[in-house]
Amino acid sequence: MPRRGWIGTSLVAAALLLFPPLSGFHPYYLYLVSTALLFGTLATSWNLLAYAGQISFGHAAFFGLGGYTAALVSLSGLSPWLALALGGAVGASGAAAIGMASARLSGASLALGTLAYTEIWRGIAHNWTAVSGGGAGLIGIPPLTPLPWLPLDLARSRTGSYYLALAFLLLVIAVFWGILRSRLGLAFAAVREEEERASLLGVHPLPWKVLAFALSGFFSGLAGGLYVNMVRVVEPDLIFSHYFSILPLVMATFGGLGTLLGPALAALALYLASELLLHPYIPAFHQLPYALALIVVALYLPGGLAGLLPSPSPLPKRGEGETRHGAA
Amino acid sequence: MPKPLLSVEGVEAGYDDVRVLKSCSLEVRGGEFVALVGPNGAGKSTLLKTITGLLPVKAGTIRLDGERTDGLPPYAIAARGVALIPEGRRLFAPLTVLENLELGAFLPRAESQQEETLRLIFQLFPTLREKVSVPAQVLSGGEQQMLALARGLMARPRLLCLDDPFLGLARAVTNRFCQAIREIMAEGMTILAAGQHVRQLLRLANRAYLLEEGRVVLSGPGAELLKDERLRRSLIELIPGADQTMR
Repeated sequence: MPRRGWIGTSLVAAALLLFPPLSGFHPYYLYLVSTALLFGTLATSWNLLAYAGQISFGHAAFFGLGGYTAALVSLSGLSPWLALALGGAVGASGAAAIGMASARLSGASLALGTLAYTEIWRGIAHNWTAVSGGGAGLIGIPPLTPLPWLPLDLARSRTGSYYLALAFLLLVIAVFWGILRSRLGLAFAAVREEEERASLLGVHPLPWKVLAFALSGFFSGLAGGLYVNMVRVVEPDLIFSHYFSILPLVMATFGGLGTLLGPALAALALYLASELLLHPYIPAFHQLPYALALIVVALYLPGGLAGLLPSPSPLPKRGEGETRHGAA
Repeated sequence: MPKPLLSVEGVEAGYDDVRVLKSCSLEVRGGEFVALVGPNGAGKSTLLKTITGLLPVKAGTIRLDGERTDGLPPYAIAARGVALIPEGRRLFAPLTVLENLELGAFLPRAESQQEETLRLIFQLFPTLREKVSVPAQVLSGGEQQMLALARGLMARPRLLCLDDPFLGLARAVTNRFCQAIREIMAEGMTILAAGQHVRQLLRLANRAYLLEEGRVVLSGPGAELLKDERLRRSLIELIPGADQTMR
């Protein structure tokens, strides 16, 4: 990343760290930015899967599985912290399952398969009333308990969940950063570029694909668990909503496919623009930024926002412009 | 006589309903350079794709060091030490030269020797060293061919299969390439190479097979085959301009 990029990123990180005291611990704004951070986690985990060539339209399934698991575990009286971790694990398993089931799918058929997967879980949540509470969902989800070694009072304030959301986002970015620099990243890139060629080099595509799904599902499940913990309810239509599948896709594409920070920064920018700038004034059209972002990417910015930076992105688009760009 | 590294016996293979190979048999012994020549459509590429597991074997057997490999998927055959440098290079275009090379050494056995192999490759192809961080797609045709060969070498294969390694290369590059292949063979690698450049291949080869319509019709030392009347006739009659390639 160029120096200006690092400076900009550090400024955003500092602003995020200092935001709670600066906002005077305002509960509404804390909730809003926490949600934006959760979308950042979702968009980054979506991007991690896309790096392995798998375009998902079903991240709401992983998010919702994490949310329902966290809700059920904490309602059963176990620690809400354990509930969050199990939410991540179930998100990972649910994602690995669809990764394995769709082993032979790619492109548009994979997109449709993952889209249907969310619908399957929404149907189950609606109908398995004894466990999921049916359409009414589950309420009264207990808050996070204070931890003796943590100075923040997580039980009562929104500040706790804010910093937890920030930690999740930093964690998924750190993991993706590590992947980009490891054999794992090489294997993901090879599977993305062409499975047959990867196979000739000894890279068995399926396990790597399933691993990419599981990693992506884990962080989406963590985010889902924390989201449910923040809103204290979980309903099938609320959490298995395509909203949580399509927004991460739009955010990651707008930020820059395959880039480390683009999806998270785009998630923060788009979500906050939508909720803070548009929602109070034109509530009916407050989701306009997502539509505009998609149009801008399709027409003018094939590399997303990251394509504006002078360094070549790790996932360059094939074509004349990029070719010359890479040679420079 | 030592056990052959690769033995192909009565193999039938092809695409869907089209049977390209009809009872094809050949052997490659360790340390040999074996050339596979023949007119277009004789089944040279099909045979290499079948050996590396890209195409299914419909009848017959393929053995590597005595163990059957027919029916195994490509990644399992690669893990047993067979590498293919396919026709038309087929690099990972957006990835850098170094990433392409690293992917070549993905198998654990190759990864442990990665540094050493890289040094050898940069000796053979100094241009690649200068361009390690450049995306493969911006290399020239000749450089891409070098990278494809280098990526195959990174796997430290026991058997390296080359499909038309000289296709579309300028004469100077071809000569450089032949030189590199001789140096690679000095490292103890076994090579099975198919292609249209009959003269260059037969000069490099210890032995050669002439393939026609999916069958081996002639085999022998490369130099002898080069003089053989049947080979001349087969190639000259069937490939327009092959007499130029022969000379």
